[in-house]
Amino acid sequence: MEELLIEFKNVTKRFGERTVLDNVDLRIRDGQVTTIIGKSGTGKSVLLKHIIGLLSPTEGTILFRGRPIHEMNQNEFDAVRDQFSYCFQNNALFDSLTIFHNIALPLQQTTKMGKKEIEKRVLEKLEQLELDEVSEKYPSELSGGMQKRVALARALVTDPKIVLFDEPTTGQDPIRKNAILRMIAQNQKRFGFTTIMISHDIPDVFFISNRILILYDGKVIFQGNYHELDKLEHPMVDEYIRSLKDFEDEFFGSDLERDRPGFSEKDLKPSEKAGNVTVAIFTLDNLDELLEKLGQRRTDEIVKSLGECVNRHFGDVGISNRVARNQFATVLNYTDTAKAENMLEGFTRELREHGLGGASVDTGGGIDSEKSFCIMVRAGLVERNPGEGFQVTTDKARSRQKEIARFLFCAIP
Amino acid sequence: MTTMRPSGENINQVWPFAHVGTKVTDWVNEFGAVAIFLFKSFFKVFRAKQMSSIVQQVYYVGARSAPVVMLVGLFTGMVLGIQLYHTLVKFGSAGVLGSAIALSLIRELGPVLTAIMITARAGSSMTTEIGIQRISEQIDALYTMRIDSLQYLVTPRIAASIISFPLLTAFFDIIGIIGGYLTGVVLLGLDAGTYFYRVRTSVEMADITGGFVKSVVFAIIVSTICCFQGYFTHMRKDGHGAKSVGLSTTSAVVLSCVLILISDFVVTCFLL
Amino acid sequence: MKKYSHETVVGVFVVLGLVVVMYMTVKLGNVSFLGNETYSLYAEFSSVSGLRIGNPVEIFGMEVGHIADFRMDQQNQFVAVELKFNNGVEVYDDAIASIKTAGLIGDKYVSLDPGGSDEMLEPGDTILDTQSPIDLADLIGKYAFGDVKKNGEQTKGEEE
Repeated sequence: MEELLIEFKNVTKRFGERTVLDNVDLRIRDGQVTTIIGKSGTGKSVLLKHIIGLLSPTEGTILFRGRPIHEMNQNEFDAVRDQFSYCFQNNALFDSLTIFHNIALPLQQTTKMGKKEIEKRVLEKLEQLELDEVSEKYPSELSGGMQKRVALARALVTDPKIVLFDEPTTGQDPIRKNAILRMIAQNQKRFGFTTIMISHDIPDVFFISNRILILYDGKVIFQGNYHELDKLEHPMVDEYIRSLKDFEDEFFGSDLERDRPGFSEKDLKPSEKAGNVTVAIFTLDNLDELLEKLGQRRTDEIVKSLGECVNRHFGDVGISNRVARNQFATVLNYTDTAKAENMLEGFTRELREHGLGGASVDTGGGIDSEKSFCIMVRAGLVERNPGEGFQVTTDKARSRQKEIARFLFCAIP
Repeated sequence: MTTMRPSGENINQVWPFAHVGTKVTDWVNEFGAVAIFLFKSFFKVFRAKQMSSIVQQVYYVGARSAPVVMLVGLFTGMVLGIQLYHTLVKFGSAGVLGSAIALSLIRELGPVLTAIMITARAGSSMTTEIGIQRISEQIDALYTMRIDSLQYLVTPRIAASIISFPLLTAFFDIIGIIGGYLTGVVLLGLDAGTYFYRVRTSVEMADITGGFVKSVVFAIIVSTICCFQGYFTHMRKDGHGAKSVGLSTTSAVVLSCVLILISDFVVTCFLL
Repeated sequence: MKKYSHETVVGVFVVLGLVVVMYMTVKLGNVSFLGNETYSLYAEFSSVSGLRIGNPVEIFGMEVGHIADFRMDQQNQFVAVELKFNNGVEVYDDAIASIKTAGLIGDKYVSLDPGGSDEMLEPGDTILDTQSPIDLADLIGKYAFGDVKKNGEQTKGEEE
């Protein structure tokens, strides 16, 4: 087991009455990329600031390589901090200095490098982050995205062994986002540098992280790698996935035009014009198995195609949305139970005919059982009573689900 | 006065005496905090790599204040010339105008007015600059880069003030004396020879050194208070963000001016 | 206008400042930079009322030095005054030093009649012939109530 780089033991941080971190226990290892995710305002930045010493805990201990920080004298602690570099969420650039001087400052003030060498290093970083044209400008003259890149350059110019990023990819276009994430991954693979970052950029960060930490309500509810994350059943994860889907759709301009990010108030309020309202739930079972055998991407594709199917069929009369990792809900207006069941039958037929992302209907003989398995699709519907909450209706529908289709998925050798 | 209490306690003072007591302890605490701030910053001037930042600050605090200081000096001298002439003439002692002007300027008005003008100009900008850097997390950024923010921001300003204040006071004095010449001699007809003779003979070394000692004392007071207010603007209870910077600047300038006059009195007592 | 760098301006500022400070110190503070431009003589007075350090010493109305120090000799009941003269001023041993007032109520100064004997006073010598300052109030009192000699005769007071 590698030595623990940083460890938090029962760390609590209170600001007056507010408890921001509540008995946080976490472990961060050397040479790994650790990502901290959580809703905004749950204390991720506060946690990161504790690591670099900008804040001290109200209770609890922080250890660096096994040594508690509060036991270290100033010199020791300074030596520890020497290995770190921090990139702020708001960039914290020195607005009275040019970009060049912003990036050069840490080298000028803390190292004994000559002017030429400093210049060389700074230009290198500028090139790497595509900032060469703005080196003589001032931070206020740059866009937010460029300012973020300057902050990154400044944090990385000293070649620190441990880097703390507070939302490094926020505000960047996807191309640059990937470039930044790639750079972080490379730093780790090639030089063994440790990265601790806060990001909202899932699932992309999952691909480069060795470890994921989830902060929820000031507590660490998950610490582990990506595979362990999948097994976690927690309302927050579902929330994330739901919002993730909406973003994807919005950006990539999917066919699911009628999907809205979350059901709006208008959709959920019973109105006379809507007449009878029925809620239908569609679930893809065996999700874990699928993830294991197919991986995240492929599974996502399958789930997506189910959603597309749902929308194709019900899109005229209803609004569909993904409500969990493997579940879709459709709100059908002007539809009573009988009509809805009719539509469901039609849907089932269509599903069986067209399949899901490459799966085929019905079994055949001679398939290797280890590499193939079944996916079950279940559906349930229930008419909504007037004034009933959406969640209640959905739960009812969920409980009424029955299997409507079964697919055999074969791995083609 | 700000109440620097980072733990955010809310104290409800009902009893007036307790209130007074709290105020006094607050002042003492703040005084201690300022003193610690000063000592920490001042001794960092003996570390390496300070020269260029000190030179930059001398430019902003000293060289850029020179025109204003000389202008104020000129008019102060001129006004003194007129006022004192009219008063002295009643005693038949118009001849001592030179002494009166030179001594008032060198002993009192030079150091005090120069300090106040520089506070208004450079002191306020010190507070604002450092205050804004504080609220935009630039000081935290320096911390993360292992750059000592006191050494980088505050020390050069204090050192530059100690260099600039006496020099600017000297400018003020000389130009003030010339101002007195312009009104007393050129305008009101006093004899030039008498004027300058009086100036030369009545001024003693003690007056000059006293005046410069005051300048240095004022320099330390003004720069420390202005930097302190800016540096800790985030701990203000009565405002946040831009507002707290504004309040800090006001406090800094007012406090500096008041302390200039109080310490003027104290140093004068010491010297006489 | 960034024609000149900040450093240049600071340099000019500091140099000018120091020049002004030096000027003030030397000219106004009466500091002799090169030293030994002056020498001292002493004069003993029975009263030095109104005389201050720095007051001028004049010969024939021209300033040739200033008062440097006072020393009281209680036993012999006089005050020894140190007079600093500029080099080159010749004072002889029959010189007379008198304390006078400039104007009616002006500063006091020492007026020196340098004398004309053969012997010149050396640095550190004492001028023996001195005249203490005239006490004006005393004089007026004496004039008003008699006692002042006028043309050798005593005037009678106003009573007559």
